[in-house]
Amino acid sequence: MTAAAKQAGVIVSGLQKTFFPGTVQEKRALDGVSFSLAPGEFAIVIGSNGAGKSTMLNAISGEVQVDEGTISIAGKAIEQWPTHKRAGYISRVFQDPMQGTAASLTIEENLAISARRGKRRSFRTGLHAAEREEFRSALEPLGLGLENRLKDRVSLLSGGQRQSLTLIMATLQAPQLLLLDEHTAALDPRAADMVIRSTLSAVEDRQITTLMITHNMEQAIAHGDRLLMMHEGRVVLDLAKDEKAKLTTADLVTRFHDVVSDRMLLS
Amino acid sequence: MDILSTYYNLIPVSLAQGAVYAFVAIGVMIPFRLLSLPDLTAEGSFPLGAAVAAALLANGMGIMPAMGLALLAGALAGALTAVIHVFFKVTSLLAGIIVLTMMFSINIRVMGKPNTALFSHDTLFTILLNADGGAPITQFAVLSVMLAALCLLLYWFLHTELGLALRAVGSNQTMARAQGLSTTLYIIAGLAGAGALAALGGSVMAQYQSYADVNMGVGVLVIGLAATILGEAILGGSTLARQILAPVVGSLLYFQFVAIALSLGFKPSDLKLLTGLFVLFALALPMIRSKFKRNPSR
Repeated sequence: MTAAAKQAGVIVSGLQKTFFPGTVQEKRALDGVSFSLAPGEFAIVIGSNGAGKSTMLNAISGEVQVDEGTISIAGKAIEQWPTHKRAGYISRVFQDPMQGTAASLTIEENLAISARRGKRRSFRTGLHAAEREEFRSALEPLGLGLENRLKDRVSLLSGGQRQSLTLIMATLQAPQLLLLDEHTAALDPRAADMVIRSTLSAVEDRQITTLMITHNMEQAIAHGDRLLMMHEGRVVLDLAKDEKAKLTTADLVTRFHDVVSDRMLLS
Repeated sequence: MDILSTYYNLIPVSLAQGAVYAFVAIGVMIPFRLLSLPDLTAEGSFPLGAAVAAALLANGMGIMPAMGLALLAGALAGALTAVIHVFFKVTSLLAGIIVLTMMFSINIRVMGKPNTALFSHDTLFTILLNADGGAPITQFAVLSVMLAALCLLLYWFLHTELGLALRAVGSNQTMARAQGLSTTLYIIAGLAGAGALAALGGSVMAQYQSYADVNMGVGVLVIGLAATILGEAILGGSTLARQILAPVVGSLLYFQFVAIALSLGFKPSDLKLLTGLFVLFALALPMIRSKFKRNPSR
């Protein structure tokens, strides 16, 4: 990949998605979502329920096929690609801790699979002894002792532990784009705090381009380089780091209501 | 005493039979356990393997190429079920039923008639043992070597990059896609592999009994399932090695129970009822246990 292509970052343009078109349940989930992220930029996405945040992430990852619009990562147009092909560029952590790992496989087997994300798999051995050291040192900073449990099945882990493992799997090879879909929402407060701290250290230390959905306004203000607010399938507010730094939680709620009522007046 | 001596005489035959069915049992275990995808195609791919091998052997083809083509035919049957399931979004159970129904006609086409006898032809057993096909216990020895090789091969494969990926697809498809695995391709390959093993079992069975019949697949799936459940009850499915060995050990054991049932005076035609009841019992056991746990007073 050339330096120029790497410079391109992530460009999302005019995403449209309507679920159940032509039926009574017709739902326009994405109504022209556009934004772009510079390489290494960490953007936080907020918005009310049904605003289209998760649909947008699923559209970028490939789980949802968009009706219209383009997605480009590192200079490649990927909107026609199937999910597994996009996984060479994109990694993700899901809201549900059960979704990100294979429960019947061991910790090291899960890591070995993600260590080969985007690469061609063959009849070579699926897990080299030498990789274990690498896995141990990746797990150690979590402080959960998972580095001593490499041969344990993932089904034995708690939700917080599984989510932490998913995060390590997603960042073991730095992706071009990391998608985090409210990945701490299903965890108890202590586990959520732990996972958020691991997330920040992974994302900020290694300058990984990231889109993170959260419902936690304080998190949204405290972290990240960008703030995107979604409403009714569009990005209605896009704040850069310096504007975002001045915000308080109350400001954010007011801005949200302003934007929403403006749009209602206009429509 | 009479029952015991009857059973004693049946041990060698039941071991050999158990070893023949162990191939299909592995072929049934793979979709149910490794892919988490209940699949009934074995009822069609087992007689398909028997039909292809018998037809080719009766036409004078060598044993290895005949068994190789039987294996290939089974792989195609398994892949067809997977394609119906993945591309047309038909549940895997129904996809398998469609394929096994179609297989009935295909198997008659393959043989040109509903059954084929191999009594006057060479088989695996007449070549390796002696002209009458060998004694049951030597047949069991030959089959054990084949099964051991197969289990080792499977164990090796499931530790390769591709095998590990296949297990991840079976465990969690969302995770698999997010890790760059084409769930479509892995499911097709997995069911093709299972079909190949079921057909291999069929081709061995046709040579074991020197006879292939279009109806020989009836009930084979439940036998495979019973063997898997039985083996897991004894070995546990906690490691991959145990999971691979479970259907083999289970199949050997299952045919011991069959021999005991026969010595007790049950008719061969009663066996399907008994097997069905056993599988039902094994499936219902967790529910029964939890009922008792909730109402300890009863």
